[in-house]
Amino acid sequence: MFLRMVWGTFVRQWKKLLMIALTVALGASIATAMLNVMLDVGDKMNEELKAYGSNITVVPQSEAVISKLYEMDSDDRRMDFIEENKVGELLTIFWANNIADFAPETDTTVSLNGRDVRLIGTWFNHHLEFVKKGSTYQRDTGIINLRSWWDIEDGEWMNEQALAGDTYAMVGSELAKAAGVSAGDNIEVTGEAGTATLTVVGVYESGDDEDQYIYTTLSAAQRLSGTEALFKKIEVSAITSPDDELAVKAAKNPSLLTGDEYDLWYCTAYVSSICFQIQEAIPEASATAVRQIADSEGKILEKTELLMSLITLLSLIGATLGISNLVTSTVMERSQELALLKAVGAKNGQITRLVLTEIIITAIVGAVAGYFMGYAFAQIIGQTVFSSSIDMSGMVAFIVAVLIIAVTLIGSIPAIRTLLRLRPSDVLHGGH
Amino acid sequence: MNTKRRMFIRTIIASLVRRRSRMIIALLAVVVGATILSGLGLIYFDVPRQMSSQFRSYGANIIFTSTDENGVTDEAVQQGMSFFPASETEGFTPYRYENSRIHNMPVTFAGTDFGSVLKTSPYWHINGELPSCDGEALIGAKVAESLGIKTGDTVSAVNSFEVTDDVDVSSLPSYEIYSDPETGETYCDHELALTVTGILETGGSEEEYAYVSLSDISSLLLSERGYDIVEVSVASTQAKLKQYVERIDEGVEGLSAKLVKRVTASESTVLTKLQSLVFIVTAVVLVLTMICVATTMAAVIAERRREIGLRKALGAFNSSIVLQFMSEGLLLGGVGGVIGSLLGYAFAQYVSMHVFSSSITFRPLLVPITIIASVLITGLACLIPIRSAVEVDPALVLKGE
Repeated sequence: MFLRMVWGTFVRQWKKLLMIALTVALGASIATAMLNVMLDVGDKMNEELKAYGSNITVVPQSEAVISKLYEMDSDDRRMDFIEENKVGELLTIFWANNIADFAPETDTTVSLNGRDVRLIGTWFNHHLEFVKKGSTYQRDTGIINLRSWWDIEDGEWMNEQALAGDTYAMVGSELAKAAGVSAGDNIEVTGEAGTATLTVVGVYESGDDEDQYIYTTLSAAQRLSGTEALFKKIEVSAITSPDDELAVKAAKNPSLLTGDEYDLWYCTAYVSSICFQIQEAIPEASATAVRQIADSEGKILEKTELLMSLITLLSLIGATLGISNLVTSTVMERSQELALLKAVGAKNGQITRLVLTEIIITAIVGAVAGYFMGYAFAQIIGQTVFSSSIDMSGMVAFIVAVLIIAVTLIGSIPAIRTLLRLRPSDVLHGGH
Repeated sequence: MNTKRRMFIRTIIASLVRRRSRMIIALLAVVVGATILSGLGLIYFDVPRQMSSQFRSYGANIIFTSTDENGVTDEAVQQGMSFFPASETEGFTPYRYENSRIHNMPVTFAGTDFGSVLKTSPYWHINGELPSCDGEALIGAKVAESLGIKTGDTVSAVNSFEVTDDVDVSSLPSYEIYSDPETGETYCDHELALTVTGILETGGSEEEYAYVSLSDISSLLLSERGYDIVEVSVASTQAKLKQYVERIDEGVEGLSAKLVKRVTASESTVLTKLQSLVFIVTAVVLVLTMICVATTMAAVIAERRREIGLRKALGAFNSSIVLQFMSEGLLLGGVGGVIGSLLGYAFAQYVSMHVFSSSITFRPLLVPITIIASVLITGLACLIPIRSAVEVDPALVLKGE
């Protein structure tokens, strides 16, 4: 009998129930889309913030101590290097997947048509293969992604993989103007250990001192300066979590942390823990955070996440009020039916159960449909804004399910109780 | 006519008052929709401005340099700064670089204004404190490490120069005169005692300098000169910054302004993403909320089919029924729109204070937009169920089918 009555409602009042299901679906889709976007926005923005370039620099241990001050008297200059075959160690650290890009570089002074010019050797889009303990790590990396703000004025970006022979270079715009160089030209540069003819692939504008530099492949620069298989610095761009109290405490001295704190710190992608792990992997190097980039990143991320969570909160409140509102109004509408049931002898509990069953079934149908709609909306947002899909969290499905059921119950139970308190005769008489 | 109008108003008021609970539900729905519209609208329009000032944590985005040897003068800086609206200017910091020595080691000294330096370089980590008066210095971490300097130490900065007749050596507070045995020229070591108030950590090239006040660097070098570089931080869009830079380049003699491309180009990339994120989120939430409001309104109206049928049976014209119900709906939409505008403003203000610690810009235009949108949506939502109710034979409606 109970099932037949429920079924009857579905058949006869399908329009009203469809309206409830639709509203629940809309609410659920807002909740699903917003919660997913909110949970993923940190990662997505983090990737966007990689536009600012590297947030960690790795230099030789001793170079970190004996500063560049001594560049002034170059005879007495003590510069240490890192061996090139150590670069691959970066791919073996715990947070290797968070390292978006990196490029080793070495610099030397060369003479170009009688003028002293700084020449930087680095990777542009290098294919790195690194074998350690039988596993092979691979990565395409280089400065193309670490210099998003460079404008190529003439020619194009150097494609290291396609141009074999290490005889290519990119020239800064100010230098190109001063030396009268344009893309396609050959320039002859003389370094400490030799002379090379380089073909200019492109001229870039960076808006800072780099406009006066020549950029070439790492091996070409190594040959010019006589420092084969060595380099001076690695720029690393890592996706990091904003610093919190633990990170600040660890930055002072990791050995002061308790065991649990240490584990948590080590397994969180703080800029300090990534630096620490790089130093573990390359003991002769010292990794430091570039405060200008790392700190600002943290601030922007924190603000964006807070902003999104408040917008999400508003949307959730809107969605829940919308649902409970509609549920209340549809229950109130059924006063006559409920009064009739009561008049023919149904108990309050039976009536409540009947109405609740109908509404909960409708809500579940709506919520399931809404979840998938929300999934679609989240993907639309992800694709339009970030051109990548939003990760769907299983937790969101759970939160949405609990939220919808709670809202439906909150929306219907007070209304049912109000109706049941009324006297059936009054209601049926039409005097409510 | 007059009685008819009075009757019309009375029916509407009566229906709003007597069906209080339903009306509250309908009003609540409209208010929620209007709140979301005006709240998200305000946030959407204000996010670029608010975020832009957050991006200033990346530091200076414009630098002034001099076009001649003498450096940038104070007048040129003042003239240059006058091109930026005061509301967008975060601050500017002059720097004068000179080579000198500490403990016989060559060190580059940077004279700067410690009062404004954190405005253009908010990312500076200082172990200790910023110098607050002359005779104090902030030492870059790399310099400190190689020279073994700690916070609280007193170091002496030494500047050597050849003694000529131009300089009255005896007026210097602390000096030592010696002659080069090979050339026979007389040199003077001029000393300046500095108290180290802090060690600077940035992970960048700033760690290679020793920072002192501008007057200290003048008294150390015994010479006045303009600034080598002035860092400026302006919260504005890349396009606007480009305009300012061009105008300054043309308008101020002896001053060359340049964008820090790494900061401005990246900022515009990220900010565009962020703005489109807020935009599309606002759009999706708004559309869904509006549909939600419409279904609730439709449900509330659908409930009144009997009433419509009764009126029709009593001889009311279709048009007068539609008019009356629509008026009710539009009144609800208007009232809901006003309340929602206020709540939305309160929400946006809360978000702004909480996230950006600054007050939101009130946009008066959003109030009429919110009210009109609420009225339109309520109107549309009511129209469909009313029309279907009106078109049905009253006998069927009253019978309950």
